Amino acid sequence: MAVQQQAPVVEVQDLEMRFGTRLIQRGISFTVAPRTIFAVMGGSGVGKSTLLRHMIGLLPPAAGRVLHRGQDYWASDPATRAKLRARCGMLFQSAALWSSMTVLENVMLPLEQLTDLDAAARRERAMEVLGWVGLESFAGFLPERLSGGMKKRAGLARAIAAEPPLLFLDEPSAGLDPISARRLDDLVLDIRERTGAAVVMVSHELPSLLAIADDGIYLDDESRQPIARGSPRMLRDDAATHPTVRAFLRREEPPERT
Amino acid sequence: MHLPHFSLADLLRPVSFLGQVLLALVALLRGRTRLSARDLARVSTDSSARALPIVTVVNLLVGSILAFVGAVQLVKFGAGIYVADLVGIAVAREMAAVITAVVMCGRTGAAFAAELATMQANEEIDAYEVLGIDPVPYLVLPRVMSLLILLPLLYIYACLAGLLGGVLVGGGMLQLAPQAYLDRTAIVLGWNHLGLGLVKSVAFGALIGIVGCYYGLHAKRNAAGVGQATTQAVVASIVGVIVVDSLFAILANALGL
Repeated sequence: MAVQQQAPVVEVQDLEMRFGTRLIQRGISFTVAPRTIFAVMGGSGVGKSTLLRHMIGLLPPAAGRVLHRGQDYWASDPATRAKLRARCGMLFQSAALWSSMTVLENVMLPLEQLTDLDAAARRERAMEVLGWVGLESFAGFLPERLSGGMKKRAGLARAIAAEPPLLFLDEPSAGLDPISARRLDDLVLDIRERTGAAVVMVSHELPSLLAIADDGIYLDDESRQPIARGSPRMLRDDAATHPTVRAFLRREEPPERT
Repeated sequence: MHLPHFSLADLLRPVSFLGQVLLALVALLRGRTRLSARDLARVSTDSSARALPIVTVVNLLVGSILAFVGAVQLVKFGAGIYVADLVGIAVAREMAAVITAVVMCGRTGAAFAAELATMQANEEIDAYEVLGIDPVPYLVLPRVMSLLILLPLLYIYACLAGLLGGVLVGGGMLQLAPQAYLDRTAIVLGWNHLGLGLVKSVAFGALIGIVGCYYGLHAKRNAAGVGQATTQAVVASIVGVIVVDSLFAILANALGL
């Protein structure tokens, strides 16, 4: 595939995740190509969100490396880390909108922090992005007045406002009704088209994974390491895929493992 | 019996946090960081005008109680007027600062812990960190600065409320003329007493702000964590206020204040 030959936006090398002494996952290695929607798959509690936190720089891994544009994030000095992190946008599982700010202010803060735009240009850009997610008329609302789906869309607007080349989405469609989840999937594809960002998405929502992900990795709960790599559609349909992964993607009971 | 396990990192975390706050404060004084004006204004409003009713009631009653206790003993010796000495000195040196600080522990310190713990549970703190915004200067500093400024002002107000309580009891129980009572208070109430109370209130303000923010930012990421953080912040800050007050008492005694 042509996209795979380009320099990766982010690369994970032999990452090991632990909570204290408890091993969560080990041996995680993958690359994310530009403009790819990359899915991190696996059951609940397997460490998907934790992997995202290691990749975005919120939590240092027990071992291994996370390379942003070839630079080792965790080995870099604080100034370099800040620059690398400025390339990332993040939609949190809970949307994590700042509750004391309006929707517009939520979207404007990344622009204030990461760009040189003046106040008027920041407002204009924030309104443009809110338009993309269909929330222009809710710009003056506090987050507490938004529904779950609207919060996710506002969070997405905040994540993409400064046009980061790398977007992390933590369970973007969790807790949404099927129609809202579908709209959010379409929005992610639309944003990829508009901004050219690569997307790393944590999810166990099968319809979303199968609809939009180009590539992915499956984290196994039992062996505590990745056991499959590829697009969810390919993994579902390929007879050579690990039976546990195929069962997951087909919503079937996992086979007995010895 | 299950005993909680503390690692060295757990024990050093409060020290590290205190260091971060001090560094942020130095950066602010050198103009290298800026305060969130929105948070400063919101927290200051909550810690000032909205705190006045409870500060008034509690300190008025404490001044009255001191006057009652003093009056019962002093009238036996025909020394009722010295109630003004007792109330004036006790309120200015100890009670106004300590009682106001305890009220603010339960009110504002708890609110800081609950608010920041809720933000932690909602991943709002993470969202700041992803943007490269350090939560200590951005969220902690406005809260600590607000209490550093406002607790001394509340202390002065609390002194007036406490003295008024003394005047009311002095007038009502001992038939002391308010003018005589206030004259006596003015004679005994030196700047050393007021200065000590004022310095204490600054220390208490910093303590309550830092403790509340510490427990809020280090809360567990769930609803139970918010409750735990709030309880821990209130208990730790009240104990802290009493401990700091004891240290001030020893220091003042050593310095002859």
